[in-house]
Amino acid sequence: MRGLRLRTVLQHGYIWLWLLIFVLPFLTTLDYSLKSVADGSYSLRAYRYVFGSFRDTLLLSTWATLLTIVINLLVALPAAYALVRFPLPGKAFLLSTLNLALYTPAVVMGISLVIVYNYVFDIAQSFTGLIAAYVVGSYPLMLIPIIVALRDLPTAFDEAARCLGASRWQTFLRVELPLLGPGVSAGILLTFVIVFNEYLVTLFIAGPGTTTAPLRVYGLIRTAGFQPSTAALATTMQLVSFVVVLIFFRLFGSRYLKGTYLI
Amino acid sequence: MSRVRLVELSKHYGATAAVERVSADIAEGEFVTLLGPSGCGKTTTLRMIAGLIEPSAGSIFFDEQRVNDLPPQRRNIGFVFQSHALFPHLSVADNIAFGLSVKRRPRAEICARVEEMLALVELLGYGERLPAQLSGGQQQRVALARVLATDPRVLLFDEPLSALDRNLRDTLKYSILELQRRTGKTAIYVTHDQSEAFAISDRIFVMNKGRVEQSGTQIDIYTRPASEFVANFVGDNNVLRGTVEQVEGGGERSVTVACAGLRLRARDTHGLRVGQAVLVFVRPEHIELVEGPQAEQPDVVEGAVEQIVFEGATVRMLLEVGGLALKVSVGGTRRLTLLGRAGQRLRMRLYDPVVIPA
Repeated sequence: MRGLRLRTVLQHGYIWLWLLIFVLPFLTTLDYSLKSVADGSYSLRAYRYVFGSFRDTLLLSTWATLLTIVINLLVALPAAYALVRFPLPGKAFLLSTLNLALYTPAVVMGISLVIVYNYVFDIAQSFTGLIAAYVVGSYPLMLIPIIVALRDLPTAFDEAARCLGASRWQTFLRVELPLLGPGVSAGILLTFVIVFNEYLVTLFIAGPGTTTAPLRVYGLIRTAGFQPSTAALATTMQLVSFVVVLIFFRLFGSRYLKGTYLI
Repeated sequence: MSRVRLVELSKHYGATAAVERVSADIAEGEFVTLLGPSGCGKTTTLRMIAGLIEPSAGSIFFDEQRVNDLPPQRRNIGFVFQSHALFPHLSVADNIAFGLSVKRRPRAEICARVEEMLALVELLGYGERLPAQLSGGQQQRVALARVLATDPRVLLFDEPLSALDRNLRDTLKYSILELQRRTGKTAIYVTHDQSEAFAISDRIFVMNKGRVEQSGTQIDIYTRPASEFVANFVGDNNVLRGTVEQVEGGGERSVTVACAGLRLRARDTHGLRVGQAVLVFVRPEHIELVEGPQAEQPDVVEGAVEQIVFEGATVRMLLEVGGLALKVSVGGTRRLTLLGRAGQRLRMRLYDPVVIPA
């Protein structure tokens, strides 16, 4: 009996130890944001910046992320469809070209975008430029889970719907899209996490009007140093990411995210 | 309800012919089965009728309308898949309603039709369940209700029972037949299972290597196989080689054939000539034990019993006759007397042989 209990304690301890290691940076930042430098007392004082000018920064980041997700979906769904369901010559080559952004170093991507934005399209330092960069960099994250989901989806559903009189469009909207839920939700989640927190590429192309949350936080650290207010901004960003992911799992978790290995 | 006509229908993939000039004329309300081994082209033929595969040549007619160029959604067919293909995210009722709802029928009409269909397949009260909450047999009945709800011109079945266990298959095949009879729909049913085909069909098309080898009723196909393939695929057969010795004319022509040291008499439906090489088919159950004085007839062989297998209702054995192994199947109470006789020599009569030109 005692041996068994000891083993249980050890097993649980092991899991908790790793959990602690994973959340330690976040907890330290949280602590730093609440503690006064002068006397070590705790207060929410540092958070007043969050609801000041940082609010607009967060809104900009959120808006840019949502727009990127929508564009990614509009690009990735037809692309995945074409790649999986239609006979195309050179599929493997096409797929690796489409996924170029995944294995391009962020610095190289940043430099390339600066060159393109200044010499080909005149969208340097604009919101359009920001969204375009996010789409180019993140749509493989939408494409790949949808391709996997579509490959796993038996064609019999599509055939059954069409034999029952549904047009291609009705078949897609009413049968295939709902059944692609796991792939689509995984893609949305991945795009959100990556784009919302993207720093390096944004650094190259953002202008004064397009300072995103990560950029703002890093800017503050450079100019003002490690103030509790900087930690408060960092904590808020972390919370937004965390809450969005939580809400997402609550909304779609049991229905769509099973089998995506994300939960 | 439509008459379905296939005219020289072919499907080629590169140099290989999956279906080669299949023609058929299926009457309104008829239940036709395409029977054959896997890869014989039966499913390809069915999918061409549905519009899921484009034919390489030939025509498909529903009544007088050529439907080759219509996509499946405009052919008004009911296709039942092997995998049932119920939409897993929709309830049973929504699955059945799907065909009507994509045609934008009024809500009240759809509801009434769904109830009617649930009653038809004896699943009233199951409308709110998801397909995954039903048993395999119930799922296939919902699939049936789903296609019947749209009042299709033709019912197409692609091995709908092969994923189910044996007992369920036996009951469900009769449910399918009963529903087809009650709705009067023309039905085309694909299967590799002979007993399924025999149980439900008005007419059977036996297919092999993309071609129709023979079409006809169960009795035609079983008692008068038109080729060596049909003789072996439908039931079991002994295939012997022989030559025609004598032809006797009249309304019913009959021939005497010499094969394996025997002289067998058979009906001639092929206009055989004396001296012609022929194939002779003898069913294992058409070989019976003879004892006593009639044992010296020309259609009686003597051989050594090589192997005896007790199968329950029948006893199967191999009879070694001059280098030839004849398959014999004995039923009835007499079968039990054979069990101890392995290695002995027995005399057996071959009757009802079928002769075709070699």
